[in-house]
Amino acid sequence: MVAFIAKRLLSAIPTLLAVLTVLFVIIRIVPGDPAIAILGDNATAEAVAALRERLGLDHPLYAQYRDFLLMIAQGDLGSSMATGQPVWDEVRSTLPYTLELTIASILIGIAFGLPIGALAATNRNTIIDYAARIGSLLGLSFPAFYTAILLILAFSIELGWFPVISQGVPLTDVGNRLYNLALPAISQGLIMVGYVARASRSSILEVLGEDYVRTARAKGLDPRVIILRHVMRNALIPIVTVVGLYLGLLIGNSVLTEIVFNRPGIGKLIVEALSQRDYTLLQGLMIVFAFFIVLVNMLTDIAYGLIDPRVRRQ
Amino acid sequence: MTEASVSLAAAAAPARRRGAIGTIVAAFNANKTAWLGLAVFLAIALAAALAPWLAPFDPIEQHIADAMTSPNATYWLGTDTFGRDLLSRILWGARISIVIGVASMAAGVIVGSALGLMAGYWGGRIEQLIMRSMDVLLSFPTLIMGLLVVAMLGPSMVNLIVAMALTMVPKFARVARAPTIAIKERDYIEACRALGYSDLRIMFVHILPNVIGDILVLASLWTATAIRIEASLSFIGLGVKPPTATWGGIIREGFDNIMDAPWISLYAGLAVLLTVFALNLLGDGLRDAVDPRLRGE
Amino acid sequence: MPEPLLKVRDLTTLFKTSTGWFPAIRDVSFDVWPNETLCLVGESGCGKSITALSIMGLLPGKKMRRTEGEVVLDGQPLLELPDKAMRAVRGAKMSMIFQEPMTSLNPVLPVGLQVAEPLIAHGGLGRAAAEAEALRLLDLVRIPDASQRMAQYPHQLSGGMRQRVMIAMALACRPKILFADEPTTALDVTIQAQVLSLLNDLRADTGMSLVLITHDLGVVASMADRVAVMYAGEVVETASVEALFARPTHPYTEMLLGSIPRADRDVDTLVAIGGQVPAIDAMPAGCRFAPRCFLAEPGCRAAAPALTALRSDERHQIRCRVRIAQAAPEAMRAGAIR
Repeated sequence: MVAFIAKRLLSAIPTLLAVLTVLFVIIRIVPGDPAIAILGDNATAEAVAALRERLGLDHPLYAQYRDFLLMIAQGDLGSSMATGQPVWDEVRSTLPYTLELTIASILIGIAFGLPIGALAATNRNTIIDYAARIGSLLGLSFPAFYTAILLILAFSIELGWFPVISQGVPLTDVGNRLYNLALPAISQGLIMVGYVARASRSSILEVLGEDYVRTARAKGLDPRVIILRHVMRNALIPIVTVVGLYLGLLIGNSVLTEIVFNRPGIGKLIVEALSQRDYTLLQGLMIVFAFFIVLVNMLTDIAYGLIDPRVRRQ
Repeated sequence: MTEASVSLAAAAAPARRRGAIGTIVAAFNANKTAWLGLAVFLAIALAAALAPWLAPFDPIEQHIADAMTSPNATYWLGTDTFGRDLLSRILWGARISIVIGVASMAAGVIVGSALGLMAGYWGGRIEQLIMRSMDVLLSFPTLIMGLLVVAMLGPSMVNLIVAMALTMVPKFARVARAPTIAIKERDYIEACRALGYSDLRIMFVHILPNVIGDILVLASLWTATAIRIEASLSFIGLGVKPPTATWGGIIREGFDNIMDAPWISLYAGLAVLLTVFALNLLGDGLRDAVDPRLRGE
Repeated sequence: MPEPLLKVRDLTTLFKTSTGWFPAIRDVSFDVWPNETLCLVGESGCGKSITALSIMGLLPGKKMRRTEGEVVLDGQPLLELPDKAMRAVRGAKMSMIFQEPMTSLNPVLPVGLQVAEPLIAHGGLGRAAAEAEALRLLDLVRIPDASQRMAQYPHQLSGGMRQRVMIAMALACRPKILFADEPTTALDVTIQAQVLSLLNDLRADTGMSLVLITHDLGVVASMADRVAVMYAGEVVETASVEALFARPTHPYTEMLLGSIPRADRDVDTLVAIGGQVPAIDAMPAGCRFAPRCFLAEPGCRAAAPALTALRSDERHQIRCRVRIAQAAPEAMRAGAIR
């Protein structure tokens, strides 16, 4: 098991490198001069040259690439052009919010999606099944920001239960944090519920048709035991895939949710960086993002290993 | 399945032969929700195409005196902060969304399937190269990729289409590659090779039809996603620039005035929801039609 | 007169297709006596598996399937039992092993637990006690290093060992009858012999009855006490194994036996049985074998023959108008089993 995890950790490194390289390519090798893009068409030649030098754009490309990787290896994400603060500081203060939103959305997605999918699978082709299928399809069709707006309209404006604008709240004030987290998490969770319910349904259906479930029935086992012990563990494998797959989607959506609810978070930072043309901040944030993606993929792989013993022997 | 049930299933099916496409069409016919999805989407697309004639007002024209009125007889869905008719703006916004959605999907399908077919058929180094690049592209969620590209290249319809196509290419490549690998070893492909058919001909004339079903499923589902992402990008402010009406842009304006004019965000959002849902229904129905396992039961 | 352990009478299972309800097996009747091996033989698709699955109550979906007839195990009628009661019978008094040991074992659970499960469910044993017994069972089925195997997963075992695990699992609660659906078909020839001999020994030691489903007449010859031959969902001949091979009476059986290459006889031509098993929704009226039968007469297509005992041997029954008429034209008895 330990060997398996170690191997996964190791193989994550080349993937990380590849993703960072693509990032580098996208940010550097674009038509036009990034310095001009930042300063605008009316900038003077000296201003452009100065900025280029400051950003290291006047060095040859391979040197830039080398410096880029070196910088990351040292844990330096650059400094924001707008505030002059190290990017890492900005990230540290906002990352917890994005993380808690993402984790909460996943938990909601699984907590509601799994039972709905299981219900649909065990009551195949009945009203329950159809309702569950249409419902989950509807759920994942909602744009995240629309759900957020609807929730605000209903619960904040009409009913006044929740604040319209969330605030950054100290880590220790758990109650307040949860309160501020509720609506955003629900609005993002809805999409996850849709995906997880569908994945659960199809994966449980597939497992129900497997020979070993027939063997379990032949042993005269209680149906609940069959579902819990024999079916669920096998069904979880595709569900883990789905969660891992849509984690990227969740992070993208967190951008939207954070804007609507005015929550602090990485997503909001990205958008601010974009609108202020804070090139270095944007680059730093994207690097954090790349790490996150690779981490998630690795965790998904490890989760497979935990669930399915056949994977471990690789 | 036991032998007994397999022969049962085979015996129960009609003895008439149908081509691969025929079976898909037949199964699709039976699925009412799929038809509903297709119908709704086509209706929306039609309305978008006919927007210049259907829209009661010019979407950019401002009627300041009537600004921020809730839905009434003149302005069926109300007006926004500048007094522009919401219905007209939504109709015109549909054009942007649908064009971007369909175009990026088409680009993704064409490039992605071609890459997938080539990777699957030629194998070896080429396959490794193609699939590794696809894996890297796959790491980027569509929204983030859209953000990046638009930030770097500027917001315009073409850039948006490119950004989203980039995230779709790897998905279609994957879907096209797997069956290609399975099919290329079959006897009739051997026969084609023996007849001296060129690789390209074999790939696109003989292997492609077998892959089409899965591709169609993904195509509808991803068009839905593309439309949703376009709305998201416009919402953030990275879509096509105002005063052009985009669904996301309208929702954003509506959000800024959520207390006073909730109908703006409400109806524009509903338009997005409806379109995306219709396409998802369609894709789902296609998936059920294409997957032989789901059909047999 | 002693009663058979398992009495099956007129067992019919119908499936719902897009064009209506059709019987997959029809009027299947046979007996299984204590401490004997009955082989169900026939081509693929003749309904042998469905028969066993119907008796075990393992067929899916009551909406798509109806089972009629009478099945009595040890005096207890099975078909009308409610689910909960049936579950108590399955795995405890009546067990089944299947053809594909790889897919029939749960890939994510350790082997020891899977063998112990029936003991926990039916025997009321705690986990530790059940696993101790499971270890003993693994030894019984001749798995080497059983204590190590307990914690392993199915993919770590060979095909033959997996099948032994299945057998251990099926025998855990000492059932009175074991259904084995082509247990060796997916195994190597050398392993086949070992598994079959294991089944035989276990049966002799425990006094259990074995219903062995197979399409391999060689297996029948070496394992069976009695044989039931099935064709197109019906039993067409039942007899003791000696009688079947020495005096095959139903034309289908004759042709089956004629089509095996034999080492002890020079055969100039292998008789291939022409034609195909008819589709479930296209069954001919009258005798189902008539279209391929060398004895067929016009009367055969008119009415379906009943399973009838031979005059010379009460326990040798066939479903054939012509042969019965030939043997005892003046004393044809229908429904002679009752």
